[in-house]
Amino acid sequence: MARTFFPFENLTPSPASFSLLPFRFTRLNGKELIVNEAGEFLIAPNGTVQQLADQRLDTGSELYRDLKAKQIVFDEASSPLLDQLATKIRSKFDQINGGTKLHIFVVTLRCEHSCHYCQVSRQTTSRGQYDMSTGTADRAIELMMESPSKEITLELQGGEPLLAFDTIQYIVPRAKEAAKANGKHLSIVVTSNLACVTDEILTYFRDEGVKASTSLDGPAFLHNKNRPRPGNNSYEKAIEGIERARAILGYQNVAALMTTTAASLGHVKEIIDEYVRREFHSVFLRPISPYGFAIKTKQSTGYEMDRFLDFYKEGLAHILEINRKGYRLSETYTKIVLTKILTPHGTGYVDLQSPAGEALNVLVYNYNGDVFASDESRMLAEMNDLTFRLGNVHRDSRRSIFLSEPALKMFQVACTQSLAGCSDCAFQAYCGADPVYHHATQGDMYGHRPTSGFCKRNMEVIRHLFSLIQENDPETMRILWSWIAGQTEKREPSLCA
Amino acid sequence: MEAPDSASSEASPKIAVKVDLSVTGTESLMKACYWFSVDFVCEIHKTEETKAEVVLRPRKPASPAELASRREDFISSVLDFALRERIEAKTASIRDLLMAKALSEAGILEDEPQGVFGDAVEESKTDGMFKILGNA
Repeated sequence: MARTFFPFENLTPSPASFSLLPFRFTRLNGKELIVNEAGEFLIAPNGTVQQLADQRLDTGSELYRDLKAKQIVFDEASSPLLDQLATKIRSKFDQINGGTKLHIFVVTLRCEHSCHYCQVSRQTTSRGQYDMSTGTADRAIELMMESPSKEITLELQGGEPLLAFDTIQYIVPRAKEAAKANGKHLSIVVTSNLACVTDEILTYFRDEGVKASTSLDGPAFLHNKNRPRPGNNSYEKAIEGIERARAILGYQNVAALMTTTAASLGHVKEIIDEYVRREFHSVFLRPISPYGFAIKTKQSTGYEMDRFLDFYKEGLAHILEINRKGYRLSETYTKIVLTKILTPHGTGYVDLQSPAGEALNVLVYNYNGDVFASDESRMLAEMNDLTFRLGNVHRDSRRSIFLSEPALKMFQVACTQSLAGCSDCAFQAYCGADPVYHHATQGDMYGHRPTSGFCKRNMEVIRHLFSLIQENDPETMRILWSWIAGQTEKREPSLCA
Repeated sequence: MEAPDSASSEASPKIAVKVDLSVTGTESLMKACYWFSVDFVCEIHKTEETKAEVVLRPRKPASPAELASRREDFISSVLDFALRERIEAKTASIRDLLMAKALSEAGILEDEPQGVFGDAVEESKTDGMFKILGNA
């Protein structure tokens, strides 16, 4: 994609020489994809990078002007614009400004579902000792308010958090009061399967401005297979809960997420059609997380990343076709990645950041007061792996949590800029580091990129999206732009509902 | 990179590539081997001061045609990494300047990066950001 018009300096005589700005490149369908430090890119003819390295590019050519406009080269006329490039880079890193924004409270481990892929070692519904105590909640709220961020999102999660509704009723007013006292803007979302939701609970959420996020894995046969519960009616309960929640909270305040199991792989169109039938306008084609209970049940839920990528591509094509027919439906991960590729902004999506989002963008306060670097870290702890337990609300401060040994170890491998396989990857500006994922799947936070499912997924998704950009079909691009226009994606609340 | 030395044999299928280290550095070979390590056991033997041989042994059975194709991929990969090294060498100092400037508000810089600074107004401020004028 070339610039729309030439900057003023392009109207001056061609410069005698030029200098290179830092960039990375890869090969893309017979062309070269050149990406600068701020993520701006140019799809250039084969051989362009060699010409740049040899300093033998014709400075009077249109290609040179494109490269200069994309700040891949500069000359005496454009050197004052280098500050602008630094500003663009800073904009891309905006997510690290201000500190942790997302704070997840695990109010209970109790759950009445027994999902095959659940990352949590669920407890039976009657065991109250797995609920967050008021003392733990008070201290967690204090720590949450110590975050420098002015924008705070509190996510109430489980298990099934509605089984501890009294705990939610304790936390919500206190968190709002603390936010007001600390001059912070607080958003609250509850992540629930909605099976046991009542009008009284929903009315409370409406009055307190609490949003709801739930799970919808697809049509009944698939949802019920993935998410067993007594009565085998998880789907019916979810649909009833969604409709009831929409009626009381409003459509815009009820979101749904799906998880892709092995059983889902052959049914991507049916899953997407279910989201259309239920009048959702976004669907997140998410691979199963390789954590916790999902690992124990790998035989029934697991699959190779290649199979997921086929699922994703087929799904994205189907979603684009649905849009062409007039129904507005976006794919969330595509939207996140395209925002990074096509706009000057980063995104708040925790799982695709460099520095990695764990702890820096999200903290999890477990029912027992333990603090984890991410939801996935907590799930590892449920499997007796405490690598990412950063502390406990009852004995640690924000400072000691961030300076804990587990946190410092994690931060050392949190930047793609310094990781083998990532440091010279053309997609670096759009991707992220995930020490928790690599620890869970490879036993090493640093990670081995050539065998990493995380790397494979993101490389292939980004490459696929660039192929669509390269094709430049006007209707496809109009749809993709409509997804990202005016939006900055936040982390999709939660993994288990 | 020299012409194909040997591709594979019935007994011990492998890819062998002779490399002139004055053309492509060891780092480029290592980086290419890193990515090929999924499918191959990689060995790098330095045969002379400026010569090396890379041997790739497939982890799973592969046909001679597949090996020939992967050999071409490997050579392309090495050349691309060599190109990246050249770009990196030319742009490392300005990358440091750009990143330092971009993140200077965080106050995390231990040392001032090398480069050409200017902008009297900014420099006169105790918390001012320096201005980038070009490479060191």
